[in-house]
Amino acid sequence: MGYTTIRERADAVGTFRFISVNLMETLARWVPTTPELEAKILFGRHIWDMAQEADGLGQRTSELRAPLHYNARPTDGYMQTLDALAALTDTAERAEAMYDGVLPDLEARYRDYLAGTNQMQDEPTVRVIERVLSDLARMREDYVRFQAQRPDLRPQAKDWKDRLAAIANGPADFVAFRTAPPQALEV
Amino acid sequence: MSTEQATKEIRGVVLATDPAREDCFQVVHSDDEMHEWPDMSDISRRERIHRHMNNETGAMEIAAQALVDFPEAPWGLRMNLARQATDEARHADLLLTRLVEMGGTKGEFPIANFEWGVTGMLDNLPGRLAIQNRTFEAGLIDLLGVLRDKWRKEGDHATADMLESILADEITHVRFGNRWIKRMTEENPAILLKVAMAIRFLAKAIGSMQLKPGETNVVGTVWTEEKLRPPAVNVEDRLEAEFTMDEIKEVLSQAGFRTIIPSALR
Repeated sequence: MGYTTIRERADAVGTFRFISVNLMETLARWVPTTPELEAKILFGRHIWDMAQEADGLGQRTSELRAPLHYNARPTDGYMQTLDALAALTDTAERAEAMYDGVLPDLEARYRDYLAGTNQMQDEPTVRVIERVLSDLARMREDYVRFQAQRPDLRPQAKDWKDRLAAIANGPADFVAFRTAPPQALEV
Repeated sequence: MSTEQATKEIRGVVLATDPAREDCFQVVHSDDEMHEWPDMSDISRRERIHRHMNNETGAMEIAAQALVDFPEAPWGLRMNLARQATDEARHADLLLTRLVEMGGTKGEFPIANFEWGVTGMLDNLPGRLAIQNRTFEAGLIDLLGVLRDKWRKEGDHATADMLESILADEITHVRFGNRWIKRMTEENPAILLKVAMAIRFLAKAIGSMQLKPGETNVVGTVWTEEKLRPPAVNVEDRLEAEFTMDEIKEVLSQAGFRTIIPSALR
């Protein structure tokens, strides 16, 4: 997918912002409802990361001729992925689905954006996304440390791998692009 | 607010049901059930760190829940709450690490989730900011000022240094709470009524839960008039958290320091 127009870039960046806010809220929802202290701490420490990512992306949307903090709801298919993640109740499943499922998939989507946009014309977006990728890598490293800290917290359900795969492999199309406005008015 | 809150009734006061805790924790509901000692023996030190760890966990949960319950709040305020949740997570992590260093374990002592119980009953964000940030966390500013000095006097500089860094963070949480309440009440003075109702509810809850002078907790610690007195008011740090001089004078007066309020504040 190429992101060649300002409008396409704004829609993609606004979608990434929506996802960041959604993941911030999912982590926040999990904090009081997760019993294990180390897992609460893991989730809690990443709430601010997601908020900062959303903020950086939201600042950028206003430079791409969309509103400040433009939030673009993803496609219905990708929303199902986010909803399936948020609905998990088991601590181990929550952690694995977030850090080994949705975040690597999201990372790939950011990299696709970088590959599909003009690096010079869209340099400010590139810089924002580079910072996001750095955050996502650190969050996943935190999860590796968490696994060493709590080796007892591993998903046990027999159907888990299939469910994880469904969450980790969301639909390729995730940006719900707006219809382009008419190029000229007929008088 | 987007979610229905489950409740529990403790001593005639309806509070929010406790957040999730591991089985190793014994969750209690009032001061007399807590294991609290007045001295600085090894077990008392571990209990203090353990209690503080759960309080920071609760503060993280309260800030996180506000993000869930109030998605329409201004983005700047949501950013502040997100930062607070992450700060409190870091504090809980620091305290858990310190507890283990001291030979303690999770669940070694009973815990209570009073702050969660109260704030979870408030269906508006200004009320929660007034109670959690402007009251509980501001009280923590006072308490941490005293505790930091106490641990240092006992020669435990590692704990004192940790409390010093936590104190710096808490000041920022109180400050953003003060700023947003001021801004919201300026925009809509009717919000003051919600804040007043939240404070009245907190006073009722404290009145029902708190031990009276002469009563003892489960490990035999006697509650005295002195113990019930609030900690010394941390004037300097409250000013940094953007309380006004008049507000600090009011806190000093309530704490029984009317006659010794510094002349500069009168």
